[in-house]
Amino acid sequence: MATKVAIIAANGGLFDAYKVFNIATAAAASDAEVGIFFTFEGLNLIHKQAHQQLPMPAGAEHFAEGFQKANVPSIPELVSMAQELGVKIIACQMTMDVMNLKEEDFIDGIEVGGAATFIDFAKDANISLSF
Amino acid sequence: MNADQVLDAKGLACPMPIIRTKKAIEELASGQILEVQTTDKGSQNDLTGWANSTGHHLLESAEDNGIYTFWIKKK
Repeated sequence: MATKVAIIAANGGLFDAYKVFNIATAAAASDAEVGIFFTFEGLNLIHKQAHQQLPMPAGAEHFAEGFQKANVPSIPELVSMAQELGVKIIACQMTMDVMNLKEEDFIDGIEVGGAATFIDFAKDANISLSF
Repeated sequence: MNADQVLDAKGLACPMPIIRTKKAIEELASGQILEVQTTDKGSQNDLTGWANSTGHHLLESAEDNGIYTFWIKKK
């Protein structure tokens, strides 16, 4: 059976973004079907402006150098690779309404849906992750 | 080992070696061999796992002076 990975991204920092997109791209590159539901602060990770300068956790700023040294791709690069690999991106409609965000505030190629949209995708997933 | 294609993924951090490998193998025909070179210490386990997940055959791997080389036969 093909592997299906369902991910919830509910946090909006730089480290959160790496956790979500590294796993998502690695899974998609391993031929898994991958979908990510971005909800609450997680929406930062696909917000057109915000995802280009996500905050480091307080006190972890000194890791910036480590990221450069390790030659880690930027978040916008990882996001476009994820999309190229066919990762489905679902933005939470309810959070968008609460935060007064429109679909055009986000990167292109996303889907907007509610919790039931994600559940429908995730119901037969064999890996579910929450970040 | 004779490879049909060589992928230089040296200097790249996880998950890039896997992503590049996936893209490179798509260019090959079934039965052809891809040689992948990496320096990421995690890639030894990662490429083994990747081959396991995708069904492509990891024929051989070697390490020399911090450079890992893998030969993968497309399924």
